[in-house]
Amino acid sequence: MKRPWLVIALLLPLSAAAPGAETKAAQVALPALLEAKGKDGRPIITPEQRAYFNSLNDRLRELLSGAVKNQVITRPEHLATILALELRPQKMELLLQDNCVLCHTDSEAQSPDQLFSLAPAAGGPAGHMSLKDLVADTHFRRGLSCAGCHGGDATAEMGHAFVKEWPASGRGTNRAWVAYFCARCHSDSAFMNRFNPALPTDQLEKFKTSPHGKLLLEAKDARAPDCISCHAVHGILPAKDPQSKVYARRVPETCGACHADPKRMAGFKLPDGSPLPTNQLEEYRASVHGAALLQRGDLGSPACNDCHGNHAALPPGISDVSRSCSLCHSANAGLFDGSKHRQAFERHNWPECGQCHGKHAIAKPQDAMLGTGPGSWCADCHRQFAKDNPECNATADFFLQSVTRMSDGLNRFGKVSEELAAKGLDVEPIDGQLKELFDSLKKSRTYIHSFSRNTFERVAAPGGETMRKLGALVTQARAEYRTRQLGLVGSIGLIGLVMLSLYLKLRQLER
Amino acid sequence: MEHPRQADTVRGWLDRRYHINSLIEFLRHKEVPLGSHSMAWYFLGGATLFFFLIQVLTGALLLMYYQPGEATAYESIRFLTTKVPFGWLMRSMHSWSAHLMIVSLVLHMFSTMMLKAYRPPRELTWVTGYVLFALTLGFGFSGYLLPWNKLSYFATAVGTNLVKSVPLIGGWSLQVLRGGSDVTINTLYRFFAIHVVILPLSFVLLVSLHLLFVQRQGMAAPLGAKAAPRGMKFFPGFALRDVLLWLACLMVLLVLSVFLPYGPGIPGLDWELGQKADPFAPAYPGIKPEWYFLWEYQLLKEFPPRLFGMEGPQVCLLLITFLLCLWAIIPWLDRRAYRDQPSPGFSDFGWGAILFLTFLTLKAWDIGASGPPEAPGSVRGIAWTCAWWTLAAGAVIVAVRWLVYGDHWFFLSGAALLHIALHGLAGISYLVAGIFALVAAAIAMAAFYYSRRDPRSGTGGVA
Repeated sequence: MKRPWLVIALLLPLSAAAPGAETKAAQVALPALLEAKGKDGRPIITPEQRAYFNSLNDRLRELLSGAVKNQVITRPEHLATILALELRPQKMELLLQDNCVLCHTDSEAQSPDQLFSLAPAAGGPAGHMSLKDLVADTHFRRGLSCAGCHGGDATAEMGHAFVKEWPASGRGTNRAWVAYFCARCHSDSAFMNRFNPALPTDQLEKFKTSPHGKLLLEAKDARAPDCISCHAVHGILPAKDPQSKVYARRVPETCGACHADPKRMAGFKLPDGSPLPTNQLEEYRASVHGAALLQRGDLGSPACNDCHGNHAALPPGISDVSRSCSLCHSANAGLFDGSKHRQAFERHNWPECGQCHGKHAIAKPQDAMLGTGPGSWCADCHRQFAKDNPECNATADFFLQSVTRMSDGLNRFGKVSEELAAKGLDVEPIDGQLKELFDSLKKSRTYIHSFSRNTFERVAAPGGETMRKLGALVTQARAEYRTRQLGLVGSIGLIGLVMLSLYLKLRQLER
Repeated sequence: MEHPRQADTVRGWLDRRYHINSLIEFLRHKEVPLGSHSMAWYFLGGATLFFFLIQVLTGALLLMYYQPGEATAYESIRFLTTKVPFGWLMRSMHSWSAHLMIVSLVLHMFSTMMLKAYRPPRELTWVTGYVLFALTLGFGFSGYLLPWNKLSYFATAVGTNLVKSVPLIGGWSLQVLRGGSDVTINTLYRFFAIHVVILPLSFVLLVSLHLLFVQRQGMAAPLGAKAAPRGMKFFPGFALRDVLLWLACLMVLLVLSVFLPYGPGIPGLDWELGQKADPFAPAYPGIKPEWYFLWEYQLLKEFPPRLFGMEGPQVCLLLITFLLCLWAIIPWLDRRAYRDQPSPGFSDFGWGAILFLTFLTLKAWDIGASGPPEAPGSVRGIAWTCAWWTLAAGAVIVAVRWLVYGDHWFFLSGAALLHIALHGLAGISYLVAGIFALVAAAIAMAAFYYSRRDPRSGTGGVA
């Protein structure tokens, strides 16, 4: 017989459905496990687990009884492990029909490195054998369990002879097979469409082109990452799941697991021959992008893969840096492309955006970067490459003066607005102009990337007009406040006079 | 009988129709009794009435612009305060006079309590005043939601939620009060109706009754005064003084409204419009009610989640109800004042109540917090600091009462001070400290009365 397990699988439901003594025996066994007590006399099944069992529907109770009857579950501790998961009905149904998982959760039947437990020691030999991870796995949820990768039949009585899809030896030393193994399904569009038509199927092809892929598949370097390095083993989750290792906020940590490890990175070199740095994660965390993503949870902020790619991860080349940046900062990139600086940067082979803003440690741009004063970045280059053109420094100074004037105005009028609002004055017009000034400043800062005084001036000019309007509005508000105070003094004087008259009248009457 | 010279005057014309001469004669002979205590206490009722009239006037002007509704309530108040000439002044005066009205009302009530002006035949004047006080708090609570801003929305959500703790009818009452299970625009509609129709009508009716009682019975003579005490003519002496006080109140109100248009900015005394209410926004952090509800807010916090088999808030509400009922029936409890004799026990009860309310209010303001108020270190620091402030105030009160007024009855104010010291300084829980202080006061009183017992009659007696 070619497929004896198929016959067993077909017979099992039939035997489970048979009426009479077997059902009765199972019904006796399961309550006994539920009521079993430990050496200390306390019930092994906790009240929470018991409450969960009581909430199970008939179908799940029947499957649980079947597992007990078939002696897949024989001990109350084993039953407790299953109930402790408190799975939703759909998942519990999958689990109770999976003999592989059921057997491999029995601590008496399995060696520690083959046992799925609720909380395996991280980094230990069974660190990847977390039962909670397994039942959360996206494959498990779709009915693809152990047998899907390891082979065999999860509904049949387990025999390891069924395992035939798995490399017999050398699995740990040469892991190049992992990528091909996963790609059996993930490169098959027809197969993948059954589960998630939106999921790409070109991961292996991309991976082959990346330094990671070349290192793993061609150089057979054991330090190179494979699929499970980033996606985990038994707890693979969709990238949109916040618990996933490839969720945007966890990507820096996942990449950093290797790239921030000097031992692991030892010997790897950059194209210029210098050692591959391992401070990228540290720099990224301190950067404006890292702060936005990791501290504020802004998923619009880029993680490693947004510039370097996912499966085809590559360090962007000199000419590619601006393309990565322009994906988000399109306005700045467009202005830079039309500027004189672009040719100059190309001549010097400078990485456009990166030349001023850096790579991983991109800080919030400061106005002090402009101008020709100490610490100015413009001056650094102009001293060397534009010393014969005074207009360059004059433009840099003009940029600095314009944005500083607007920035100072924004702070000053902002404080004045708060002060006037506390006095009960109408600051809506002032706040409206402040918003316009803020927009002008923001736009002006963007138009610095045109590196053209005329272009910049056209955008910055409305800012000056807004400041003039703000000045007038503030003067008007202060005048109104003075009027209020004068009105108050007048009213109090009038009331005081009436009071004095009354007092004198009172004295006269009582004299 | 009409005076011959009045025959052709307006007064004569009116008298022929409405007999106003008898009223004028009544007012002409009306007198305000004078006694050993300051006359200032007699003016507090008039000051309260003045602030109420300001409320009516400014409220009517606000009503010309205010539009209750999801998309209009906040916007109309914003428009009123920013665009309408003097709209900001009307809102500021309305808010300030609301708070000042409660201040003068509380002072009026405590002065009545201390001077025993509630004694017969003025029991119902006390009761109507008590109900007027409750209505004033109702004005404050219902008016708070009307700007429909973030703070008022969440404060109302927290405040109305208390109703749920009323035994048996709590859930139903909450539904009725809110117009649904949550604070929604339906809540605003009914709070608006309560604030501008139901409460004003009730208040005017009751204040008329209160004034009628005062006019019919006259102002209470000082305790122990004989049948015909010295008096001051109501017209013009007292009335002119009243007008002078009203004008002084108006001056204070104007100065406060111009210089602090949104209040002094302390929790429970701040009415800056801020942001519009958003039911889906996270709850406002550190939300606190108006200052006159702070003592209840703090007392609720002192109760554990469960007590005596009931929910903690339920027990707390029962206690508050008991205390308020006790306060309402004081004229019938104070038998010595009934006989026109000094009743130091009830005066001391009043002082004890003041200390009790002061400590809880200071605590609710987190005075003495060294960090976040919820942090264990801060909780201890707040209780410690508030206890010292209240004990210091209590010591001054006791010293003045003893040395200046010759009081010797300090059992209840002493119990309040012991309660505060045990809780704030010794760190004992508020409820345990309270029970201990009450037991100590009861033992001390029993010992005191036993020691002064008349051995012949076997009855106690104290001056």
